[in-house]
Amino acid sequence: MESILIDCVQKSLNHFMHSNAIFISQRLCAHFPSETNLQLLAVCYLQSNQAYSAYHILKGTKMPQSRYLFAISCFQMDLLSEAAAALCPANEPGAEVPNGAPGHYLLGQIYRYTDRRKSAIHHFKQALSMDPLMWAAYEELCILGAAEEATAVFGEAASFCIQKQYINCSTPPNLSAEDCNVAAARHNVSDDVSPRQLRHMQGLKDIAANSHGSSIIGGTSGQLSSSGSSNMSFYNTPSPMATQLSCVAPPPLYRNVMPNGPNLSTLNAENSPKSTVNSIIQAPRRKFVGEGKLRKISGRLFSDSGPRRSSRLSSEASVSANANATVVSGNGTNSSFKGGSKLTPMTFRSMTIRKGQSWANENIDGGIHNDVLDVSRLNITSTTSCSSAAIEAKSYEQDAATLQLGGQVTSESKVITGASEILSLLRVLGEGYRLACLYRCQDALDTYLKLPQKHYNTGWVLSQVGKAHYELVDNLEADRVFSLARQITPYSLEGMDIYSTVLYHLREDMKLSYLAQELISTDRLAPQSWIAMGNCYSLQKDHETALKNFQRAVQLNPRFAYAHTLCGHEYVAQEDFENGIKSYQSALMVDARHYNAWYGLGMLYFRQEKFEFAEHHFRMAFRINPQSSVILSYLGTALHFLKRSEEALAVMEKAMLADKKNLLPMYHKANILMSLERFDEALEVLDELKEYAPCESSVFALMGNIYRRRNMHERAMFHYGIALDLKPSATDAATIKAAIEKLHVPDELDDNL
Amino acid sequence: MSLEMAAESSEGEEEGKLSGGNQVLIVDDELRELGKKAAWSVSSCKPGNGVSSLRDDNLETYWQSDGAQPHFVNIQFQKKVRLQLVVLYVDFKLDESYTPSKISIRAGDGFHNLKEIKAVELVKPTGWLYLSLSGIDPRDTFVNTFMLQIAVLSNHLNGRDTHVRQIKVYGPRPNPIPQQPFQFTSEEFITYSTIR
Repeated sequence: MESILIDCVQKSLNHFMHSNAIFISQRLCAHFPSETNLQLLAVCYLQSNQAYSAYHILKGTKMPQSRYLFAISCFQMDLLSEAAAALCPANEPGAEVPNGAPGHYLLGQIYRYTDRRKSAIHHFKQALSMDPLMWAAYEELCILGAAEEATAVFGEAASFCIQKQYINCSTPPNLSAEDCNVAAARHNVSDDVSPRQLRHMQGLKDIAANSHGSSIIGGTSGQLSSSGSSNMSFYNTPSPMATQLSCVAPPPLYRNVMPNGPNLSTLNAENSPKSTVNSIIQAPRRKFVGEGKLRKISGRLFSDSGPRRSSRLSSEASVSANANATVVSGNGTNSSFKGGSKLTPMTFRSMTIRKGQSWANENIDGGIHNDVLDVSRLNITSTTSCSSAAIEAKSYEQDAATLQLGGQVTSESKVITGASEILSLLRVLGEGYRLACLYRCQDALDTYLKLPQKHYNTGWVLSQVGKAHYELVDNLEADRVFSLARQITPYSLEGMDIYSTVLYHLREDMKLSYLAQELISTDRLAPQSWIAMGNCYSLQKDHETALKNFQRAVQLNPRFAYAHTLCGHEYVAQEDFENGIKSYQSALMVDARHYNAWYGLGMLYFRQEKFEFAEHHFRMAFRINPQSSVILSYLGTALHFLKRSEEALAVMEKAMLADKKNLLPMYHKANILMSLERFDEALEVLDELKEYAPCESSVFALMGNIYRRRNMHERAMFHYGIALDLKPSATDAATIKAAIEKLHVPDELDDNL
Repeated sequence: MSLEMAAESSEGEEEGKLSGGNQVLIVDDELRELGKKAAWSVSSCKPGNGVSSLRDDNLETYWQSDGAQPHFVNIQFQKKVRLQLVVLYVDFKLDESYTPSKISIRAGDGFHNLKEIKAVELVKPTGWLYLSLSGIDPRDTFVNTFMLQIAVLSNHLNGRDTHVRQIKVYGPRPNPIPQQPFQFTSEEFITYSTIR
């Protein structure tokens, strides 16, 4: 009964019938209370956005997979300290992080949001070393500003790591439990022995593809002895197998071992400290079996299993709770295997999930296929993090038959080439993303251009390219690229907040309001939509409504730094400095490298004439984004107000070099020179500047001021006239007219101008 | 004042007399309403028709004074602000003898040194009335002051008390770039002038 229920839950999850899945798994837990069943129920809750339910049922559980799911629930409920405690129990400092790479990734996120940057970086790097295809971990490292070059990360070691995951090894693994040498374990799928047989032969220990170590097997046996037997008994034991199994010493063990191999069983069997979502595994396996590809298991297998079992049992004993998560995750797990690490089902699962995904795309050893199929299905349902895998898993199911029929052994070389293709793609994307996060935008753009057309012309890449153009203050090009991205993926909100800012800068109110309307109708619950709306109102100078919209964005996702920053801008526009500071600081708490918030704080203090604070904040912004001429010019202005005018002028020179198209540094330079009473130099600069910006009223007004100081009234008058012709603001027009009046009364001293 | 010219109304002005009134409030983009930064008070009021009715953006509600003339609306700022325009909504058709007739606008640091800066006489106004505070001299475009007082000296038909439905006060927008002598007018300068 139990296995039928489990199977039913699996199917419901695979078909996104969440309420059905919840109901059935609740009945399952009521009838067969066990931690693994609780895990399944938790998965159902998490899949239907009821993290709080999962939290309650998993509170206090100890098995690694339970801890992982519990941590996920805590994370979604924003209970970060509990999540961290679940993943890294305080009283077990050396404990293994459950689930390997995803576990490290989650831990990294927790530390990131609790302001422990170094720990976060450490864990993301761990995750990446366990699973080189975990792009999300690399992305986080880039955001934290601690990413290594993509060529190193997605290089040889990574390739080797992936290969180990996917290629069957040809040497039978040692079955000795103690020797969990899964690293070398590569079973010979090319034999006539069916994968199942192989597995049996080698015991669960070496499932090369999945680098499920012997520990798993050991775990299985251990579990068998402890609690999991009930689960075991009903697991997908294909009927022919069943009979065969019955003669084997630890029938449950084999069941697990059966289709989809040992991994599954190990997952189920797990050591007492470890648990796997057995049930999940069961379902796919059964399907697999049911497809009628049962293969005979020679008696030899069974006989082997005897001793193996015992050895496994003993090995299980030796399996420490600190299984090296890396092992399972298959990132360079082999090496970890050598160390006798134990695989945790969790890692296995994560591995398989990944595999599921990649396998969907590549040819893989037939034997592995089977495993993958089931595993992927299993994993998909069991892990909350791989929702996309589910889709692949489903397709897998359909392909299961064909795959099995193919039954071919994918050559090692194909895996190698596949891995290297993926890695070369990730190298380019990773390097581009890393450079963009370091604000080396031109380099990033050049890197992205190396992508093949079919990848370049996707929403994500084009959004990144658009962002890079925006950072280079090339708003027209950014507009073009972003609108292209929208044509290709109109449903994607990634980067649309930046696009709305681009349109804000271009003052395209029609396009901006159209964008905002479209985004809101696509997803009312995305912060980007409300940011676009807010930008729309801000462009109309309706700062109150803009602020409300940005606050809505903050409510929808408090971890979206840009929403906080924009709130800050709106507060400052309304001269509410206190709240402005709070908003900017919130932005920085989410992302300390969000230079816009540093800049916002600098401007705020600048307005309040707290020039030292302003200088400090501009410098912080500059450190993060050293190519921005705007930041440099404000830094220079702040230095000037701090009476460090020589430094200010030097900074202005740098600003001019940083971006030739930015004319403001020249203007500021002239201003500084004027206040230093170096009038001739100032006029020289302005004479040059007026050629580049013949329509800028302030340039001529400033020249008028200088000529007035030099008592060259005619020239002053001339320039004031031009300044007035160029339609300055009413305030400035008044100021200039007043200045003209004063020209007629040269005796009057005017301090204001 | 550009806004006075732009206003489509039956407003006429002769020798300080204002009649007509806009039905729609249209103000130049360069101006921003400063009323939120001020403390508003009135010399007297009937319960239920207090000072808040002047600021509630609701033309149905009005302030009704309750005492001897002249009636005052006092607008006090925490720091000196540049003011350029005062806009009132009054309606002879609805308020008849409660409609203000003579209005004097005073400015100063406080109650002790208010000086009249504008005086108008209204003739059957119906709608928004724009009272510019600018002088002829370009140096007098703005009134830089701590306090503004709007005094209702007399009403139509010799009414004792007055009704005013809404008052707004406008000043120039500050330079978006602080500490700069002039605002930028060209696209290139504006684009590079801030990071958002």
